[in-house]
Amino acid sequence: MLHQLFQKIIRSGIGRSRRIMASIGLFIAMLLIFAAVQTQVNYNELLHGASNQDSIANFLVINKKIDGNVRDNTLTNQQVSELQQQPFIEEIGQLTASRFKVSAQSPSDNFPFYTDLFFESVPDKFIDVHSKDWKWEEGSTSIPLIIPNQFLDLYNFGFAPSQNLVQLTQSMVMSIPIVLNIHHQGQLVQFTGRVVGFSDRISSVLVPQNFLLWANKRFSSQAAAQPSRVVIRTNDPGNPQLVEYLQKSGLVTDADKTRFSKYRQIVNTIVNASWITGATMLLFALLVFSLFIQLTIAATKTEINLLITLGTSPKQLQKFLLKQFLPINIFITVLCLVIVAMLQWWLATFLKQQSMNISPLVSYFTIIAAAIILLVLWFVNVRTISKYIKQTEV
Amino acid sequence: MQLQIQHLIPIPLREKIQSRTSGIWNQQVVFGPGEWVKIKAPSGTGKTTLMNMLYKVRHDYEGDILWGIRNLKEINGVTLAEKRQNEVSVIFQDMRLFPNLTARENIELKRVLGTQMYQANKIEEMAERLGILSILKQPAAICSYGEQQRIAIIRALMQPFKWLMMDEPFSHLDKENTAKAAALIAEECTKRGAGFILTDLDDDDHFAYTQHYTL
Repeated sequence: MLHQLFQKIIRSGIGRSRRIMASIGLFIAMLLIFAAVQTQVNYNELLHGASNQDSIANFLVINKKIDGNVRDNTLTNQQVSELQQQPFIEEIGQLTASRFKVSAQSPSDNFPFYTDLFFESVPDKFIDVHSKDWKWEEGSTSIPLIIPNQFLDLYNFGFAPSQNLVQLTQSMVMSIPIVLNIHHQGQLVQFTGRVVGFSDRISSVLVPQNFLLWANKRFSSQAAAQPSRVVIRTNDPGNPQLVEYLQKSGLVTDADKTRFSKYRQIVNTIVNASWITGATMLLFALLVFSLFIQLTIAATKTEINLLITLGTSPKQLQKFLLKQFLPINIFITVLCLVIVAMLQWWLATFLKQQSMNISPLVSYFTIIAAAIILLVLWFVNVRTISKYIKQTEV
Repeated sequence: MQLQIQHLIPIPLREKIQSRTSGIWNQQVVFGPGEWVKIKAPSGTGKTTLMNMLYKVRHDYEGDILWGIRNLKEINGVTLAEKRQNEVSVIFQDMRLFPNLTARENIELKRVLGTQMYQANKIEEMAERLGILSILKQPAAICSYGEQQRIAIIRALMQPFKWLMMDEPFSHLDKENTAKAAALIAEECTKRGAGFILTDLDDDDHFAYTQHYTL
C-alpha cells in the first residue's frame, strides 16, 4: 500500500521517454560488453581449445639462421636456457647429433642403394610418431628409425619417376631392412635398421635417444657437441611474441607454422578494441543511468522533501526508489544474456560447418561479467539514491 | 518525553526579539509530558518559525531544542524518521498535502508509513466526524482550504505520538467544525496520554490547556 502511494507521488517525476532512453543506452552498452567478453572466450577457445588443436602446430624445430658467414651455428647453453625461460615456450627438447660416421646400404642386390648417413635423437615426448617398435635395448643390433615424410615424398615424386624406379608406400619402406655400418677405429660395426615411422615434425633421421647416447659414448672420439637445433613445445605457434623473439635472436623455424602470427596480431587488436569499446559504452551507460536517477530525484524533490518531513525514513525511500530502477537493470541484464546466448548458439552452429568448434553455450566468464556489472549497477543505484536523498533532506 | 527550549533565538529575527520580551524566545522553557500547551502569538512574532524549529524543518537558530534528552541538532536521518513516525506528529499551517493524491490517500500514507496504529476504517470514522467523508476520493488539490485542513488534522492523528505540534490548526474552519475537530484531537491526545503545542493568534478555549505562553 505504502509502495503504491509512493509510486503515485513520485511517478510524475519519472518521465517515460527518459526512462526508455536510459534503458536503451544501458541495453546497447551491456550487449556490447557481453558480446566482447563472449568473443574473447570464443577466440581463446578457437586458438587453444582441445578440439581445435593441431598436433603438428604445437611443436616447432628451431635453429640458427644460416647466413653463410658464421661457421658455428650451434646453440649455446645460454641461448637454450634463455629459450626455456620464455613464457610462450612450454618445453624444450634438444636434438642430440651423432658424432660418428655411419652409412646405410641395402641388404639386397635387387634394390641397391648406399648412402652416408647421420643420426639425431630427441626425447620421445617430442616425437609425433607412436610405434611399439620405437625402442632399443643395449645388446640389440636392431635399430628403429624415424625418417621425415619429406624424404619419402622427395623419392616418390622427384627421384623415382626421373630414374624410372618404383614408387614406394610407407609400409613398403617400413618392411625393408637397412644395413647400417658404423665406422669405428677403422672397423665396421653392423646394425640392422628399420624404419618404424615418418615424421612431419622433425626433418632428421631419428634413432632412440638411449641408443644414440650409448653409440656416441662407444664410437665417438670427439667431445660432446652443442646442439644446433631444438624442438620446442608451445601452446600457440601463431603467437606474435614468439615470432618476434625468434627474429630478434636470429633464430628460424618452420615459417609455415608461424605465418598466422601477423593475422593473429590484427585479430587480437580488433578483439581488444571491442573490449575497450564495450567498456567505454558501459561507463557512459552507467553515467546516463545515474543521471537519470538524479534527474528523477531532482524532479520530485518537493515530494521527497515532504515525504521526509512527514517522517518517511530515508531507508524506506531508498528501498522504494531502488525498486523503481533495479528491476529494469536486472531485466536488461537478463535480456542481454539471452540475446548473447542465442547469438552464441547460432555462431557455434555456423562455425561447426567450417569445422571450427566453440561451445554452443554462453561462457562462465560472460555470466560472471553480467553478475559483476549488475553488482556495479546496484552500487551506482544505491550510491546515487542515498546521495541525492541526503541532499534533499536538508 | 518532555520538550525543552533553551535560549532559542531564530537568526533572522534576532534583533526584533531582543527589542522585546517573549515567553519563549531566549528563555529556558520545559514542556512536561502530556502538557497541553497554548502559545499565543501575535502576527509577525515568529509563530510558524517556532513550530518549524520544534519539528526540525528549520535549522537557522541559536540555542537548543531537546526532544526528551536528545538535542534536536543531533537527531538525523533514520532516527528522526522513527521519532516522526512514533513520537511527534504535526499539523502545518499550510497543510502540506500531496496535491495529486486523494484526500484518503493523503491520510492513508501516514497510517501505513510506520507502526500502524489504526485499521483503515478509522479514516472513514474520523472523516465522518469532521464532515469530510464525501470528499475522501477527491484529489487534495481540488479540496477547499477548510477540507484540506481537516484532512491534515486526520492525517496527523493516524499515527502514535507523544507530542502533537499544531500551527493554527483551525484557521480555515468555522466555529462548529472547529469544535468537532478540537474534540477529536483532545480525544486522541487523551487516548495516547500525549501532550500538544498549539499556536494561535488569539486566546481561545478549544482545549483545557495546562500551560499558556505568549510568544
